[in-house]
Amino acid sequence: MYRGDFALGTLMRFLPIVTQIFLWWAIFDTIGHGTRDSANIVGYSFSNMVAYYLLTMVSRAFSSMPGLASGIALQIRSGEIKKYLIQPIGMLEFLLLSRLAHKLAYYSVAVLPFLLVFSICRGYFVDGWPAWDLLAGYVAALLMSFLLGFFLEASIGLIGFWFLEVSSLLFIYMLFNFFLSGHMFPLDMLPAPWDRLVSMLPLKYLAYYPAAIFLGKVPREELIGELWIEAGWVVFFIVTARVAYRLGVRRYSGYGG
Amino acid sequence: MAQRRPSYLRVFLTFARNSLVRDTMFRTNFLLQCISSAGWTLMNVGFYLIVFQHTPLIGPESGWGKYEFFVFLATTWLINSLVQTFFMTNADDYSELIRTGNLDFVLLKPIDTQFLVSFQKMDWSSLSTFTAGVILLVVALWQLTTRPVHPLSISPWMVGLYLFYLCCGVAIFYSLMISLASTSIWLGRNQTLYDFWFYITNFARYPMEIYNRGWGVPLWGFFTFVVPVLVVVNVPARLLAQPLHPQRSLSWQLACFALLATIVSLLASRWVFQRALLSYRSASS
Amino acid sequence: MATIEIEKLSKSYWVYQKQEGLRASLRGLFRREYREVRAVREVDLTVEQGEFVAFLGPNGAGKTTTLKLLSGVISPSSGTARVMGHVPWQRENAYRRRFALVMGQKNQLWWDLPAQESFRLHQQIYRVDGQRFQQTLDELTRLLGVTNLLHQPVRELSLGERMKMELIAALLHSPDVLFLDEPTIGLDVVAQHAIQQFLKYYQQKRRITILLTSHYMKDVSALCKRVVIIADGRLHYDGSLSGIVDRFSGHKVVTLHLAEGQAFEQLARFGTLLEIEPPKAKLRVARRQVPSVMAALLSAYTVDDVAVEDPPLEDVIAEVFSRVDDVAVDHDVRQAVFP
Repeated sequence: MYRGDFALGTLMRFLPIVTQIFLWWAIFDTIGHGTRDSANIVGYSFSNMVAYYLLTMVSRAFSSMPGLASGIALQIRSGEIKKYLIQPIGMLEFLLLSRLAHKLAYYSVAVLPFLLVFSICRGYFVDGWPAWDLLAGYVAALLMSFLLGFFLEASIGLIGFWFLEVSSLLFIYMLFNFFLSGHMFPLDMLPAPWDRLVSMLPLKYLAYYPAAIFLGKVPREELIGELWIEAGWVVFFIVTARVAYRLGVRRYSGYGG
Repeated sequence: MAQRRPSYLRVFLTFARNSLVRDTMFRTNFLLQCISSAGWTLMNVGFYLIVFQHTPLIGPESGWGKYEFFVFLATTWLINSLVQTFFMTNADDYSELIRTGNLDFVLLKPIDTQFLVSFQKMDWSSLSTFTAGVILLVVALWQLTTRPVHPLSISPWMVGLYLFYLCCGVAIFYSLMISLASTSIWLGRNQTLYDFWFYITNFARYPMEIYNRGWGVPLWGFFTFVVPVLVVVNVPARLLAQPLHPQRSLSWQLACFALLATIVSLLASRWVFQRALLSYRSASS
Repeated sequence: MATIEIEKLSKSYWVYQKQEGLRASLRGLFRREYREVRAVREVDLTVEQGEFVAFLGPNGAGKTTTLKLLSGVISPSSGTARVMGHVPWQRENAYRRRFALVMGQKNQLWWDLPAQESFRLHQQIYRVDGQRFQQTLDELTRLLGVTNLLHQPVRELSLGERMKMELIAALLHSPDVLFLDEPTIGLDVVAQHAIQQFLKYYQQKRRITILLTSHYMKDVSALCKRVVIIADGRLHYDGSLSGIVDRFSGHKVVTLHLAEGQAFEQLARFGTLLEIEPPKAKLRVARRQVPSVMAALLSAYTVDDVAVEDPPLEDVIAEVFSRVDDVAVDHDVRQAVFP
């Protein structure tokens, strides 16, 4: 049942981008001395910028996990964790599947407003669709960003086995995430040495990286290597989450539930 | 028998005191707010430092250079933190009071209901962002007043006006907030309301000029004259940072308009508030 | 002029009728069915100064709604009311300073702070003079026995203690009229008793006017001489407690102690058997038939002891309530087109 205000709500999610776009418009106008399209910043033209922000919306559709970490922490605190211990399916698997299902359901409906926005803004994608190999890399990066986002936030939530105030930690994480994932601006803009530092963090894969691939900012030679690194981060967090879970459950049972 | 009208000032001070007592009980939360404020301000400043590496101004001939823009940014933080400190918790609580029916207790008190609802709780921890704003403002003004080319000169008159329009900005944001919160009497509690507030005030984050191009012009018009959020930060910031701007007369016109907008907003929000109260149905026992 | 004058007071709500099922929900997007709930119907009541009146009634009877109308929290659909000369729903500050409302299980004190801080806030809002405030506070806390709890956060207090604090908060500004909505609900017997005793003492000493709604007979019988029965939004009775039995009960309860070796089976002839616990038996007998039944019983059996009593008050009242439900209730079902 398609509800009007749901569509409106999804469209409204694009609103913060609108203000950013105006900001960049003004900046590019200044640099280009009145013609915004002739200027560029670290290789991004104005159209690239707009395309970038729209693409980060797509990346975040895959990688953002609202309520995951806080949900896990809450379940630990309230003792609901117990039910996973007796069920045949582990907690992480269960949450992963339910998250997947939720995203599929949500975006199957939300795809319409997304398509609407993208078709209106078609003109900003001046380079059109990327080549096949880049496109494949793009899709791979998106899928991995889903897994990365999931296991990273799950790991944070699992800290709840050892610290009560996970929500505080989470808040700070969200804050840094906003900047360091490329959600606020393309990470190419960072000067040295910050660009190297941030590049080493896994957060860039959550928003910046897929968008960068799509826009052709990632040279082909580096693409495969980077994808492997991303895969490495995914594996790292899967392991971290599982270990944390096992250790936490052991510690938890030690209290006698 | 108590005959006299309550002293609104005294009541407000008691609210402030009680809130402070309460906030200090939750020390970790307090600390967390301070840390996140610091983090937030650092990152924002960092971002704009990067931006100004690539461009001398935001908006051609707008007058918003690096330190002028930092004045603008600081003003945003000052206004937003004041709104958060005094009103945000209360607006949220108001929706909750309506939903649970506990608004009844508020209606029993011999004091103006809107006053009680708006000032009940203070969020002292948001003052950390206010402090950050003050620091940034001082630094930016220092740079502006000591630069070799066209140094800015600040008169007490300007400072006074700045503070005055700061309050006007807070008043406009408050009016919007309380009007939205009042609608929960008709619409029930709604997360969308909260998001709405965020989306609208998002536009106020940047100098007005940036909207004044292409398809942004209707936005510029709407958010200046209908829901006047654009004048909130722009007017005080401009008064302080760009008093000798070539479009000075326009600035003064805008300032007068801002005053008018403040008065109209306050009156309109009061009307909405009272009207909503008439439809209050309480909750079943 | 009486303290409380209510004339033909009515309050109706339109309640959206939620339908079950998918199709009905879809239809609900366009056409909404509303049901009118008549919470209060043409209530007339006069209360003089210093009276202590109880409202009795089943859930949803309109007791709380009436109190909310008199407090000005909601405004009526029709009818008038004046409390101490003021119209409540105009919410004049002069009126609000002179009365108080306490609702059971609802808390108006700040949750995380000690009650003392909330009281101080009250003092400021009601503009109570400092010395008077301290005197009143001391007296109230002493009477209720909570002096050492003043500095504990409200959330750490037990339900009974919280209720006592609520009462104190309500009385700090020395109101002339007090509305109590189920003040002892959910409390243990000890707390209930303490609050009852307190209210009795306070009312007698200050001669304030109190309206009390309650489910508990103990509250009512301990405190009020005058009882008003409200059911289904209407007033059904207004008078003394004992009068209820006379008015509503058509039966008496006959308790027999039979001498040894008698058969109980035949007793059902004389009336409705309520209870048999040899050698005791209880019968319900219609009032008019009591003399003849008594004569028949005494001749048919050897009786050690006999008592003729009124049925328990609770039973009578419960019967009144259930009888009211049987009366045809007119609810208008209206169809309104959305929006």
